[in-house]
Amino acid sequence: MYRIFSRALAGAGALGLACALMAAPAAAQDTVKLGVMLPLSGPAALAGTSIIEGVRFAAEEANAKGGVLGKQVELFIENDEGSSTKGVTAVRKLIESDGVVGISGTYVSAVALAASKVAREFHVPMVSAGSTSSNVTDANEPGDPWFFRAFPGSVEQARQSAEDIVHKLGAKRVAIIQENSIYGSSLADQLKKDVEAAGGEIIAIETYNPDERDFYSVLTKLRTQKPEAIYMAGLMDAGAQIIKQSREVGMDTQLVGSGSMMSDKLIELAGPASEGFAVSSMFEPSTPNPVGQAFTERFRAQFNKEPDVYSALGYDSMNVLIEAVRRAGKADGAAIQQALMHMDDFPLVQGPADTTAKFDAQGSVPFKIGLAIVKNGKREWLPFD
Amino acid sequence: MDSFNLFLQFLANGVVNGSGYVLVAVGLTLIFGILGVVNFAHGEFYMLGGYAAVTAAYFLGWGLLPTFLIVAVALGLFGILSERIVFRPLAGKDATNAIIASFGLSVLLQNGALLVFGAQPQTLRLDGMAQTAFQIGPVFLTGQRVLIVLATLVLVSILMLVLRYTWTGRALRAMAQHPMVAQISGVHVRRVSVVTFAVGAALAGIAGGLMSAVFMVQPTSGSMLVLKAFTVVILGGMGSVGGAVTAGLLLGIIEAMVSGYLGNELRDMIGFFLVIVMLLVRPQGLFGRITERS
Repeated sequence: MYRIFSRALAGAGALGLACALMAAPAAAQDTVKLGVMLPLSGPAALAGTSIIEGVRFAAEEANAKGGVLGKQVELFIENDEGSSTKGVTAVRKLIESDGVVGISGTYVSAVALAASKVAREFHVPMVSAGSTSSNVTDANEPGDPWFFRAFPGSVEQARQSAEDIVHKLGAKRVAIIQENSIYGSSLADQLKKDVEAAGGEIIAIETYNPDERDFYSVLTKLRTQKPEAIYMAGLMDAGAQIIKQSREVGMDTQLVGSGSMMSDKLIELAGPASEGFAVSSMFEPSTPNPVGQAFTERFRAQFNKEPDVYSALGYDSMNVLIEAVRRAGKADGAAIQQALMHMDDFPLVQGPADTTAKFDAQGSVPFKIGLAIVKNGKREWLPFD
Repeated sequence: MDSFNLFLQFLANGVVNGSGYVLVAVGLTLIFGILGVVNFAHGEFYMLGGYAAVTAAYFLGWGLLPTFLIVAVALGLFGILSERIVFRPLAGKDATNAIIASFGLSVLLQNGALLVFGAQPQTLRLDGMAQTAFQIGPVFLTGQRVLIVLATLVLVSILMLVLRYTWTGRALRAMAQHPMVAQISGVHVRRVSVVTFAVGAALAGIAGGLMSAVFMVQPTSGSMLVLKAFTVVILGGMGSVGGAVTAGLLLGIIEAMVSGYLGNELRDMIGFFLVIVMLLVRPQGLFGRITERS
């Protein structure tokens, strides 16, 4: 009885497999399927909708050159709305229903952390499209990362900012305003350590919820403590408000922003108050990196506007992923993961000249981050030194 | 002396934010008190008011008053439209239907705004005086912030006078007190319903327009605000305009003090904490009356 049953089951299984094999080549032969997950609506939509331009641009360029492995790249795009629950659903849909072999995403660190656990179980590598918190790459097994970030994480970014604040900007008494998220806290915690190590002092840490827009109370309080610099670990829209309101409450303290605030929109929203604002910068259209310069020119020709750090993040993320598929030689998650660990010669558009996708054991690329300062309504890029 | 100056600044911040809460909560409490509709899309009326102001200022470039007149009319019409399409068909049915429908409307409007206006925050540029920051004693303010307080003062005064002395106002209050008796006495229920939505949406819209000059407007601007407005409505007493004014200002001031003295991260929590306490201790709210229903 048992044998008959198991034989029937095996038969059914074989039939199912046969069906799958018949269906699979038709789809697989056409395209290489890559997933994209980004917050296209919700609080982080501003970043998500810019990043996706860079992602699409990379895929279009690859396809114009004949695609990869002789096939066109097909993108499957999911909106995670910046929410961890939606992110987990999105990554499952991409892998289980769309059958993608690699994923570019996502922007919000907490969502990336949740989604990367699912992707790792399915052996599908993810390449960050903007998530900065080092917590996500720290969750990787050293030497066997499944979540890759082709730019420095919060640890490197905060370390660089701390040195810039103390040495370049000459501020010793530093206050921190951080977003209440793992992005904000991972930067703030690290910056606190590094400012103290560099000989400075953290005199206050204030936290705000991501959708908060009124900072008068926080800033008035900080004004009485007379910091020499205020570091803001948060997103662009809150940053613009803090900059504007700090001038309104009569402060002229040096403000320093985290990488998300590197946007022309911030200067527009904050207006003249943004004069002198300093921000961590991984990419500028005026970058000294020749690969980045070439990207800027192609992007301008295509979109008739300047690229920003978001378009560069998206471009690098998808470009690295496509190159990894090419090097893997087959559209298979595990092979792509192996290929990603050997990309030391592949150039990135972000970072200083000769920056390559040299992932460390944790899956991060710790290149040098620059500092840009707003002068006459334009960011001026201080070279990576 | 220094700490007193700080207190004054916190107080001013609280009054400015509180005024915004008042304008939104007054409309919400009217709609609830008169029609019994719990409108979760009210925050989106506020958000659309912000976009209406930005759009009107951008295309027409008129002064402050005409711009806000347009905002009031546009949002008033929008309120009437949503009453007609969403809420009227559900009138007389289980109240849960209207709550769920208002949630749906809220999601629809948020995503609609995202499609039309995009995710980029927009700001209303007021020229001249309104942009500049100034100092009264130890307190720093901007023209825009003072404008919010003044506009709230004027609009709420007008609203209270209308409710008190005009026939329409009396009809609204009659509906709130006892719909059936109001109807028997000749109050036109549908008209009342339309007027309530128009006024509520217009007030929220003006609040959104004013706030967009200070805090920018984004498709998600209204989502937290509507929850704050609900706490104000519950604290003040469901359906009480005076209660909404007092509770709105109070919530603004308490939030400013909490964020100044205790820690900014507690700011959004305090309102909801107060609501729970209020519901336990005095469920009818500060100004609500316990009414015996037969």
